[in-house]
Amino acid sequence: MKGAVMKKGKQPRSVGRVARDVTVIGMALLWLVPTWLLVVNALTSVETYTGSPRWVPDGFGFFDNLVAAWDAGDFGQATANSLGYAFVCAAAAVLVAAGAAFAVAVMPVRRPALWFWLIYTGTLLPLQVFVRPLFSASAELDLYDSWTGLAIVYTAICVPFAFFVIRNYLATVPREITEAALLDGASWWRVFYSVHLPLAKPAMAAAFIFQFVWVWNELLFGISLTFSPTARPIMAALADLSSGYSRVPPPVVLAAALAVSVPTVALFFAFQRLFVSSMRTNI
Amino acid sequence: MSSTVSTQPPVSVAGSAAGAAPRRRTRPGGPRRNLAAAAFLLPAAALVAVVLLVPFGATVYRSLLTDDLQPVFGGLSAYAKLLDDPALSLSLLNTLLWMAGTLLLPVGFGLAVAVMTNAQKWGRIARLAVVLPYAISGSAVAVIWGYMLRSDGAVNQMLANLGLESWAHDWLLEDPLNTFGMIMANTWQATGVAVILFLVGLQTIPPETVEAAAIDGADGWVRFRHIVLPQLRPVTYVVVGISLANALRTFDVIWVMTQGGPARTSETLALSMYRESFLLQRPGVGSAIAVVLTLIVLASSWLYLRGQGKAAR
Repeated sequence: MKGAVMKKGKQPRSVGRVARDVTVIGMALLWLVPTWLLVVNALTSVETYTGSPRWVPDGFGFFDNLVAAWDAGDFGQATANSLGYAFVCAAAAVLVAAGAAFAVAVMPVRRPALWFWLIYTGTLLPLQVFVRPLFSASAELDLYDSWTGLAIVYTAICVPFAFFVIRNYLATVPREITEAALLDGASWWRVFYSVHLPLAKPAMAAAFIFQFVWVWNELLFGISLTFSPTARPIMAALADLSSGYSRVPPPVVLAAALAVSVPTVALFFAFQRLFVSSMRTNI
Repeated sequence: MSSTVSTQPPVSVAGSAAGAAPRRRTRPGGPRRNLAAAAFLLPAAALVAVVLLVPFGATVYRSLLTDDLQPVFGGLSAYAKLLDDPALSLSLLNTLLWMAGTLLLPVGFGLAVAVMTNAQKWGRIARLAVVLPYAISGSAVAVIWGYMLRSDGAVNQMLANLGLESWAHDWLLEDPLNTFGMIMANTWQATGVAVILFLVGLQTIPPETVEAAAIDGADGWVRFRHIVLPQLRPVTYVVVGISLANALRTFDVIWVMTQGGPARTSETLALSMYRESFLLQRPGVGSAIAVVLTLIVLASSWLYLRGQGKAAR
């Protein structure tokens, strides 16, 4: 009956607890190994790199490596492209999705469930099922290998999930607020603009960050719908650089991989609460 | 965040879906109100319909045509290739390996890390190490793991230093080691999502139930097995569904690490679709693969949509 005498927070150090702590520390260290290798070898200058992975830092060649990667992979243009894709597509998708979420959750539309599923289905289907027809269509419409073409596709792909997040949020807004505004003679547009849009800001921010990260990380459409540097997103540039391992020494590729990860890692840590809480509301 | 996870939004968590929507009696609404609603709905609905749903229909239709110069109706012949063509049967097998690996590793590790760190004071720090890779793109994950698993990579170097040269392999060149290696890379990235979701699930368990069991003298393992685990069942459906759906869609990790090679031995359906459609110019077969992939992904999603229905109750 050990448990009966145990006080909260003051438990005896049992074998089980020690085993648990050791396991946790072991797993955490194991998980850090790839990250450690990435950072150390991305910092190693090409001149001192011997051909096999380094485990301890030696000198600081990160910026030289980055410059080499930028030159070999045309990353400057790719970064600009992807920043544009991520900002524009995520913002456009969130705005468009907010309108639809307002209609489905607040306005008395007919068959809200039908509209919900029409839009939401887009996020359940694997992207592979859209690629080939979009490739053919963009070729016919002269949008293949253009920034605009890929941006339209990214925006559309971002709409369903943003819609879903914002709709869930708006569904919690008390009905009385809408009715009061309507009684005061506000139009639906006014209700949306002055009442629900400000209320939905947290959900819209969460959706924006999710979609920003998604667009930034996307590869499949990037390599299927573009090939020239003027339209190519950053992950496609990284993939190209990586497949040329023989041409470019490993520290250069790793420096590029580290650099392209910085924005998403920073966003993740800055908005960790947001990520966790948006998962919580959705379970 | 994946990508994978690449992949869709890292966690396309479906919440209280339409079924759980607050029931608002919709008044029929005059033509003017319908017009206003249409103005709000139309941009999103049109974008999704034109860019996503129509192409989906086109892919289903194309999968029924042959890959001749003049495509004709071929029934399910493109689907039959999935079983006839050795490269595609291997791709199907690899996809099953990915599914099994995902159930075993990210879900299992996720549960273990969440449960073990939930009550620990410094658990947050340990969790951070596991969740960090979740913030990295699938392409970057592939670069890192490619660097570890290359023939002159970190893993073989480590084995040599430990005097285990005989354990060294060309991890990315041998089948099925290349698939196992990429499942490990995916595990490294995807475990974080499972940890976060399981933690959320753990926090919804009423502490009284665990305390009562402790007072009754149940030790740690028994408490976990009989009190905690049953209460985690709804969230487990969600984690399994999301992890499976994300693993099935994984393209970037495999493309950057091996491009499905050598000799197509490490392809999954997500890769084969791309290779057949774009590199081999067999859009019929590529479309059939995409449709099969869709069916498997939808089945996995159903698992978590249904699980969420239960969690809501």
